[in-house]
Amino acid sequence: MPDEFQSTIERRARIIATFKKELILRLNLPYSAEDLHEDISLLGSGLGLDSLDALEIVLCIESCFKIKIPDQNIAILRSINTVVDHVLEQQALPGGAA
Amino acid sequence: MRSSLLKPRLAAAGASFRERHGAEVAARVSGRAAEYAAVRDAVGLTDFSFLHKFRMPSEQGLDFLDGLLAGNVPKIRFGRVLHTFLADNDGLLLGDCYVANNDEELVFLCEGIAPDCELPALLQTAGAAEAGVEDLTDSHALLSVDGFKAWDVMKEVFGADVLGLPYLSIEVYPFQGASVRLIRAGKTSEFGYLLLAPESIALALFDTLQAAVAKRDGCLCGVDVHDDLRLEGRFPNIQAEGLRVRDPLVLGLQWMIDLDKEKFHGRDAIRERRAGGLRRKIVGVAAEPGSEALVTGARIFHAAEPVGEVVADCHSYVLNRRLALAVFPVELAYSGLSFRLGAADGPVVKTISMPPIMPKSLSVKLDEM
Repeated sequence: MPDEFQSTIERRARIIATFKKELILRLNLPYSAEDLHEDISLLGSGLGLDSLDALEIVLCIESCFKIKIPDQNIAILRSINTVVDHVLEQQALPGGAA
Repeated sequence: MRSSLLKPRLAAAGASFRERHGAEVAARVSGRAAEYAAVRDAVGLTDFSFLHKFRMPSEQGLDFLDGLLAGNVPKIRFGRVLHTFLADNDGLLLGDCYVANNDEELVFLCEGIAPDCELPALLQTAGAAEAGVEDLTDSHALLSVDGFKAWDVMKEVFGADVLGLPYLSIEVYPFQGASVRLIRAGKTSEFGYLLLAPESIALALFDTLQAAVAKRDGCLCGVDVHDDLRLEGRFPNIQAEGLRVRDPLVLGLQWMIDLDKEKFHGRDAIRERRAGGLRRKIVGVAAEPGSEALVTGARIFHAAEPVGEVVADCHSYVLNRRLALAVFPVELAYSGLSFRLGAADGPVVKTISMPPIMPKSLSVKLDEM
């Protein structure tokens, strides 16, 4: 595989693994990491988490990746993949946490 | 072929009908673009009466349904709804199901992909008679009100109390001397309500809802537009990727399964595949604007090798491009990658994070209405 292709996968896979592990731990989810599809809806349908869980997810992201989640920006929390997109964007900023 | 109680109204509105697994459905009523716009910007009214509909006493129904369905039925709290699935003995999808715990009764709705006669037969074999299961499929209509302004239609017809219903809950409302079971659900990512109504009021309820929808610049919808809306919202669609793939693990439906349950249809096969490890996985894919080749069945290439297959597709009017779901080997099933479509030198498509749109309904705070 081309290097850029493979490095994109590896970078994303690392963030997914970290986030899933913390998510399962903090919310006591009855799933393994492999059971959580990255597009699964975190709130409402899918995992069916509530507003208190949403707060826990925000804390989880902020402590794991040293980034801030803007207030009221629920678009970021729609799925594991949307969270990972935000983390990658923040890490790509000048001075972003790598 | 089974027909809807509402067919006269839909036919009068110019609906085009077709068969879906032995039941007749109104595929399109107002035109796909208009129907799509109605749900995203206003509200749409759709006849989902083709679903199988059952009720049963809670006391007997809990064990009966729990032995059939992948989700944990006894854990459904009063007034709440479980979204799960029914599998066959090979652990492959047969139906996308809602189970509502409505006090003394359970309401069971199933969107099946088996021939129409098979689900009632399967339920009978599993002991439906002993569980007191009543088949409402022919005696009730099932209407779906979806859209940015769906809550406003519900408020007008049933009162402001409706606004307090959380997602995946059920409540009963009176309408012209009969009872309507109202489920807040929906798979469009906008507000959604399912209304289960007996034959005696079905046409009157349809007329009332149609008038309320029209007042808000909405329209009648067919079931086909829901394929687009479900994909954009990344809700599982048993009629699209579900029908083509059928393996709930590849489809990422583990969240619908209680993996600790001792018994449900297809449990052993699903557990065995899960223990063997996931090899393929479904991922969102987007085409460049103007590219029309991203269609179900198309192959996806990486480094001259076919690696994926498109299993569901739609045109996203919001994003102005084609979207799809495709199955890839797990080692390639990541968002943010570029592939080629149809051939090693075909047009570029990219895997994307789902859901790719931000529905207007997320900007509405019902508790402030």
